[in-house]
Amino acid sequence: MSNGKKILVVDDEPDVCTYLSRLFEDHGYSVRCAADGEQALQAVEQDKPDLITLDLSMPHTSGVRFYREIKSRSEFSSIPVIFVTGITGPTGSAADTERFYASRRQMPPPDAFVAKPIDPEEMLGLVRRLLSKGDSQ
Amino acid sequence: MSERPEASAAKLQAIEQACGRLFDEVPCYISIQDREFRILAANRKALEDFGQCVGEFCYQVYKGRSHPCPECPVARTFADGCEHSSQEKIFDRRGLPRDVLVNTRPLRDSCGQVVAAMELFTDVTVQKELEHRLHDSLTRFQHLFDLAPCFISVQDREFRVIEANRRLMENFTWRVGGRCYEIYKGRSAPCAQCLVAETFQDGKPRCGEDVLVDRTGRPVHVVVHTAAIRDPGGEVTAVMELCDDVSEIRALEDKLASLGRLVGGIAHSVKNVLEGLRGGLYIGNVGFRDNKPEDIRAGWEMVERNVARLSRLIMDMLYCVREASPRRLPVCPAALVREVFALYAQRAQQSGISLEAEADDELVLMAEPRDIHSLLSNLVSNAIDACCSEEGEGKCYRVKVRVARQDEEAVIQVEDNGVGMDEETRSKLFTKFFSTKGPFGTGLGLLVAHKVVTEHGGTISAQSSPGQGSIFTVRLPLQSPIPGVASTNVRGATP
Repeated sequence: MSNGKKILVVDDEPDVCTYLSRLFEDHGYSVRCAADGEQALQAVEQDKPDLITLDLSMPHTSGVRFYREIKSRSEFSSIPVIFVTGITGPTGSAADTERFYASRRQMPPPDAFVAKPIDPEEMLGLVRRLLSKGDSQ
Repeated sequence: MSERPEASAAKLQAIEQACGRLFDEVPCYISIQDREFRILAANRKALEDFGQCVGEFCYQVYKGRSHPCPECPVARTFADGCEHSSQEKIFDRRGLPRDVLVNTRPLRDSCGQVVAAMELFTDVTVQKELEHRLHDSLTRFQHLFDLAPCFISVQDREFRVIEANRRLMENFTWRVGGRCYEIYKGRSAPCAQCLVAETFQDGKPRCGEDVLVDRTGRPVHVVVHTAAIRDPGGEVTAVMELCDDVSEIRALEDKLASLGRLVGGIAHSVKNVLEGLRGGLYIGNVGFRDNKPEDIRAGWEMVERNVARLSRLIMDMLYCVREASPRRLPVCPAALVREVFALYAQRAQQSGISLEAEADDELVLMAEPRDIHSLLSNLVSNAIDACCSEEGEGKCYRVKVRVARQDEEAVIQVEDNGVGMDEETRSKLFTKFFSTKGPFGTGLGLLVAHKVVTEHGGTISAQSSPGQGSIFTVRLPLQSPIPGVASTNVRGATP
């Protein structure tokens, strides 16, 4: 049963895409995958998603470029984005990494951050919270 | 009007007395000698320091000799009637040495005959001692200057190197009057930012970092210190520049940094693998829950794929940290190319890539077969990936391996017409944990290739441009570069 919400999963790891797609689909979301920033931008333009999970550590910094692009465009800037990455801060903690991304002035901070390996319950909880926030606005 | 005789006699006596006092009181040694060097008279200072010497021979009194000195200024004065001088070392009555300047002059009788010689010693012992000390300190200073483990120069306002220590002269293309920027950097004009110029401007010391180029063309990383040299009026007349070679520290820092990146990269890869495993388990479990065999199969395949990836990553990692030197066995690269092609045949076929080989079957080199297999496998797999990563409609992709002998080297080339690389990517290839391939690479493949080639005494290089494909060229010596390993002509030997 679909809850009608669309999630775009952006990751260059096909297995991660498959995993997250199945996880989200099993919980009633419709999912689309993109393997790099360019594909992701096309996907957003064709069918605006309700939420995006984005792996920032893709080759050629295409994830970062994609993120800056959508945050700079008014029609997409309100889509919640969850950063998903295997690269963590100096202590390896997610909180550290979150602070790191938040401190980068060239980039608006993400709505949420999930470190690999992904905890499925944490991810689903975040998605639900961010989507309900969108609904209430 | 003439003086009365008694008055002039009194005057003469007064003059003689004054002369006598002067003779006694002058602060040097004076003696009067006859032709045999016998001392006829001596002033008070000479009598005090050399004892009752009147009637003795000069050479006995002053030098404790039994014969006249070979080079004697008194003898010369007697011979030519002229004044002479020399420098001597004499010994006083206590045996203490004294450095003296000697002056001799003739004393003549009324007929103009030289009847005696006056010898005057000026004691310069203290001056000599100071001179010695000055010389010693200058030598010591020069020694330190030369031996200091850094490059030291003193420069004028035009950056002309007025003084340089030996280390600088030995390591750089040095010439007298050369400018700092010519000597240190091979430049024809001053550097944009110059610490020496800044110190000349305000007289304050500066510190910074720079990269110089030594006479062999090697870059030398240095920490630079400058200090003003002032004249007695406080005016800055020169600047001393001291460059401390920190190249080894920089190299070590680079190594540590790349080790850090390597560890970070490996951690990243491991996390992705773990994610794939979790994904596989999740999909498999969903399959069991919903009784869907296709999900179970898909999940299981994901697990298998990621276990294989983890094994590859660990093998590469172990290879990268292996310390043992490779064995040297006869290896036929052409045969290994066939083995590697067999490994990748299916993947290449599925992706529509043709694998071509142009390899000299006769060519044999001494190497570790497993290493050469791993090298070829990494390069061929990279080439296939490069073809897969491009989305060229209707393009015929191919990977071509050439193996040929050039002089005493085996040259292995792996060429593809795939996606190619930009200069930035190319420059990172062999030095860092580096992958452009996301899930397909361990990021260690080319590090492994580089290690194999280096351990076998060879070289590896890459030519590439975006959209044009890449050529990796490996050159390996046919014979072992390690002494003591059999190095017969291996051409034609069977592996």
